[in-house]
Amino acid sequence: MGSGPKKWGGRRVVPTAATRGTHSKRSIIHRTMFLMAVCGILIFFPLVWKLYDIAIVHHDEYQKKASDQQSLDYVISAQRGNIYDRNGNVMAMSATVYKLILSPRELVSTVSDKDEAGNKLEDEVYQAKVAARQEEMLNELMTLFPELNREKAVKEIHNIRSAYWVVKSGIEEEDIGALRTYITENKTSHYLYIVPDTKRYYPYSGLAAQALGFVNDNGGAYGIEAVYNDVLEGTAGRVVTTRTAAGTERYNSYSEYIDAINGYDLTLTIDVTIQSYLEKTLEEGIVEFDVREGAFGIAMDPKTGAILGIASSPDFDPNSYSKIINELLNTQMAEEATEIFEKLKANNPEHLADSKLMDLAEEQAYSNAVNTQWRSRAIDSRYQPGSTFKALVLAAAFEEGVVSENDTFFCSGSVMVPGYSEPIKCSNRQGHKHQTLAEAVGNSCNPAFIEIGSRLGIDKFYDYYLAFGMGEKTGIDLPGEASLAGAIWDRNKMSNVDLAVASFGQNFEVTPLQMICGFAAVINGGNLVKPYVVQSISTRDGTMVQNTQPEVVRQVVSRQTSQRAADILEQVVSKGTGKNAYVAGYRIGGKTGSSETGETDRTLVSFMGYAPADDPQVIVLIAYDRPEPRELGVSCNYTANDIYISGGSMAARKAGPLIAQILDYMGVEKVYNADESAAVDVSMPKVIGQSVADAKTDLEKKNLKFRTIGTGDTVSRQIPAAGASIPGGSTVILYLGDAVPEESAAVPDVTGMTYEAAKSALEKAGFFMRASGVSVYYGNTTTAERQSVTGGEVAAVGTVVDVWFFNVVED
Amino acid sequence: MSRKAKRDLTMEEQLARGPLDLPFLMLVLMLLGIGLVMLFSVSYYTAYRDSKPPVSNNPYFYITRQAMFAGAGIVAMYIISRINYQHFRWMAPLILAGSIFLLMLIYTPLGVTINGVTRWLKAGLVFGPTFQPSEVAKVAVVLFFSARLCKRDTEKQLRFTRRTTSGRLLNWLEKIGFLELVPYGAILLVIAVLVVFEPHMSGTILIMVGAGAVLLVSGIRLSWFVGLGTVAGLALAYIVFATSYMTRKIKIWLDPWLDPRNGGFQPIQSMLSIASGGLLGVGLGNSNQKYGFVPEPENDMIFAIVVEELGLLGGLIILLLFSLLILRGYWLALHARDKFGTLTVVGIVTLLAAQVFLNIGVVTNLIPNTGISLPFFSYGGTALMIQLAEMGIVLSISRQIQAPRKD
Repeated sequence: MGSGPKKWGGRRVVPTAATRGTHSKRSIIHRTMFLMAVCGILIFFPLVWKLYDIAIVHHDEYQKKASDQQSLDYVISAQRGNIYDRNGNVMAMSATVYKLILSPRELVSTVSDKDEAGNKLEDEVYQAKVAARQEEMLNELMTLFPELNREKAVKEIHNIRSAYWVVKSGIEEEDIGALRTYITENKTSHYLYIVPDTKRYYPYSGLAAQALGFVNDNGGAYGIEAVYNDVLEGTAGRVVTTRTAAGTERYNSYSEYIDAINGYDLTLTIDVTIQSYLEKTLEEGIVEFDVREGAFGIAMDPKTGAILGIASSPDFDPNSYSKIINELLNTQMAEEATEIFEKLKANNPEHLADSKLMDLAEEQAYSNAVNTQWRSRAIDSRYQPGSTFKALVLAAAFEEGVVSENDTFFCSGSVMVPGYSEPIKCSNRQGHKHQTLAEAVGNSCNPAFIEIGSRLGIDKFYDYYLAFGMGEKTGIDLPGEASLAGAIWDRNKMSNVDLAVASFGQNFEVTPLQMICGFAAVINGGNLVKPYVVQSISTRDGTMVQNTQPEVVRQVVSRQTSQRAADILEQVVSKGTGKNAYVAGYRIGGKTGSSETGETDRTLVSFMGYAPADDPQVIVLIAYDRPEPRELGVSCNYTANDIYISGGSMAARKAGPLIAQILDYMGVEKVYNADESAAVDVSMPKVIGQSVADAKTDLEKKNLKFRTIGTGDTVSRQIPAAGASIPGGSTVILYLGDAVPEESAAVPDVTGMTYEAAKSALEKAGFFMRASGVSVYYGNTTTAERQSVTGGEVAAVGTVVDVWFFNVVED
Repeated sequence: MSRKAKRDLTMEEQLARGPLDLPFLMLVLMLLGIGLVMLFSVSYYTAYRDSKPPVSNNPYFYITRQAMFAGAGIVAMYIISRINYQHFRWMAPLILAGSIFLLMLIYTPLGVTINGVTRWLKAGLVFGPTFQPSEVAKVAVVLFFSARLCKRDTEKQLRFTRRTTSGRLLNWLEKIGFLELVPYGAILLVIAVLVVFEPHMSGTILIMVGAGAVLLVSGIRLSWFVGLGTVAGLALAYIVFATSYMTRKIKIWLDPWLDPRNGGFQPIQSMLSIASGGLLGVGLGNSNQKYGFVPEPENDMIFAIVVEELGLLGGLIILLLFSLLILRGYWLALHARDKFGTLTVVGIVTLLAAQVFLNIGVVTNLIPNTGISLPFFSYGGTALMIQLAEMGIVLSISRQIQAPRKD
């Protein structure tokens, strides 16, 4: 306060002699030393103690927490191998996609149950806060994914016990950037985050669906995907490293990387083109013949056993395997659901509500339907092969020398077999009468085969049955080969009657795949081959790891026997029950079959065909299960659109064009025989102005017949015009003198007529007929089914009318 | 100014040319060096991640600025150490007035607001780097108090007339030393109010500590400290228990895992860093916690990363250096030429010690979070410069210590 007199609050202030401080240095030294001790030493004790406590005492506990939050440990999924068809077309491939995961539980935990000051909130207030947070999250998700089902999302988001709701899966790489930004910006990574995932794509969607199978969360579930799962899936890798708080990976010396080993690629024997032909044929037949229980088909290389195509209907799309896409199956599922519902209702001990029962019924029906569409019937089901089996009996009989081409058989329409009270009927009730062996096979005559079977005897029959592989699984590299337990009688229990019916393929069961392999052995030189679908296994860069070599299980019959049987089977198509499979230019051999199933109104019609007969490139089996008869329960043999229910009328008809298509695709040249060449189109020569005799010479050169109209010696006009292309063997019209042809005429309706009748009817009216559909051996049972210009329509005279012929075949 | 020959110098001038205290200088430079290296290690990632200007993802941003200020600070320290500290006696009131003026400027539009608090001014008022006037105020208070309190030995006690009651009361107040404290209290009150409402609690605390140390050593009666300390303690206890905000802070301090995402986040991350270091540390530059786990690691929490990288051992060595620096500081205070020097050094060194304690106390969760930076380590250019300037004052005082007699 300075010195000297001063005023303080209006009062006189007098400084005294005493000072405020003392001159003693002791106090200042003591106090400084006190501070020195406190600030220089003492304060460090608690600090050091704390540091020691944290860094040493709690080292392990805290360090674990630290490394938990710092470490990044994730699995690098291995790329699943691709599946290619035999020509390298991608049938299945994998791509990286992402899943967005929300943890409803963690979302709730982001809402504090305390207020700013740290007091616990009223429960209602807290619940309201939680609800608001959930609503906000929901709205944000709906903005991100407008296609999200709001109702379902509300349900999921309120399920706060759940920590893992897959908001969206299959998010593509290009969409993930925006999501990442959202997560980073909103710091949602502890309750909303992205995990990588792979998605399997099947570029051909439903093609070869059952063979390929599909992949679910546990890996390959069906088909090749399942059998070759280990090969395809590779080995997952792992990364253990540190991360930043933002979640990004850090690269440092602590990081440990174990690379993923990608799965191997598979190259199949299946050819997508042949597969698609096969599936198309099945689908067409199902519509045409009103087939109710599906269909199956196999195309195979008969010499190697390489499967070219394998299909079952109904099928599915492995891209969305749990969806039922087949209309028929959908309808049946609905019907089945109703049936199950009725059953449940009738027996409802728990007194469940109708809606609950319906849910149960629908669930059951759906599960059945899904299993149906996933099944590969060509492998996992058994059927009675019916007459197609006769080919094997024939080969066995040849091999054993019990029949020869010169043998004749008599068929009265039925035959009595000792031990059975009723006569066993032939498909032709009137009987085939006298027939050569070839005719008997061509007619698919049951009594003849009962005779052949009895000549073989039970033991030999059984030996060949087993030799043709009917008693063992084929060993194909596809899953689910049907068990053969109880498929046939035990050898020692087989009776004569059993032998008799077995001789024409009834009362025992084999799988379609066994059947095609057995049949292939008959026609390929006698070798039973092991079928396979995977040709090779290779790494992603194309190095082959494994290549499948065709495997001959055993030689069943000799080459000569095979040749003899094949000759007869070729005649089945050119002359017999397989006529409808005939395609001019290709030598197709085969055998039809109509299998009884034990159910009324249910027939399984099939055809086994191969071509070319002299050097088989492909063998095809197609079958339709239960074409619906017009009238039920009365042994009606016709469908609603008048098609006779039999392998020859149905399966053979579809198999012929299929085999032709396949051969065409495979580049097999058409070779016409003499008869076929005759019917090949020729070019009409110019005969106007010539004498009838000259014209006749010219026309004969071209394999054309003629008729004349009018009188005279010189041809004045001709139908058709010079240069027109008409089938060989047609009868052209030559106008003599002043006779003038009509410009146009009505086309006669020739449907239902035989070949000759149709031809003459058309030619009489001034048209020409180009016949197709069955072989050149037209019998009386062969009738025109449809024509390119409908009967009654007016067309220019000289028009070539295409007529498709068809054979009603009882086999 | 031509340099006079030594023989022409007055004794004052001769003393002012004495040698610097080398141990103190070396300790300062060692801590500064270690601090810079650690700041680089710690701030690299934060700067790299920061896309906002002026950092703009430049990983060298913090270290470049800090190094530049450190350089400038060393120059400032040297220049100040060359000033005869006796001049600070007359400068002290001016510096104090200036710092109060600057503190008031904060409440004008010139004040710079960062993270919602207005604590800064620009060095050129409208341009240049920012600084905290409260940092200046700390030194100003220490200098002013020292300059005044060193004279209390010669200050005469006042006597009022005994005829009136008020006179008698004043006499009694003078006798117990209250009247003497009034001006200091008034100055502290003004400054504290200005700083508290920035708001800047930790700055206020440090100013109080600095002033308190000077007052204590100057010989003010201990009963005042006991009394005021009790009052302050009771007030603090009242605040802690009466306001839920503080109660919650205390609860989280006692168990950070109560609220690991908000209030407890920083202490937890800090402790996890220290624990990760263990005895020997993960190695310089190898901290994992600095990758975004410890918030703003280049600031208050830098010591946590230092321990993670250098281990408990490294941390203890740094603490030892701080301890030696502080002890040497008090040693200088004890040997200072005059009372003014003693008080100034005590004030400055106690401030330093308080900062070290409060910072590392927070980092180790020994005390609740206060927001005080670690001298020589934490990022902050102007603060570092002022810190070095303070060291310059100590060094200047150290020059005038009489050399021990050589027998």
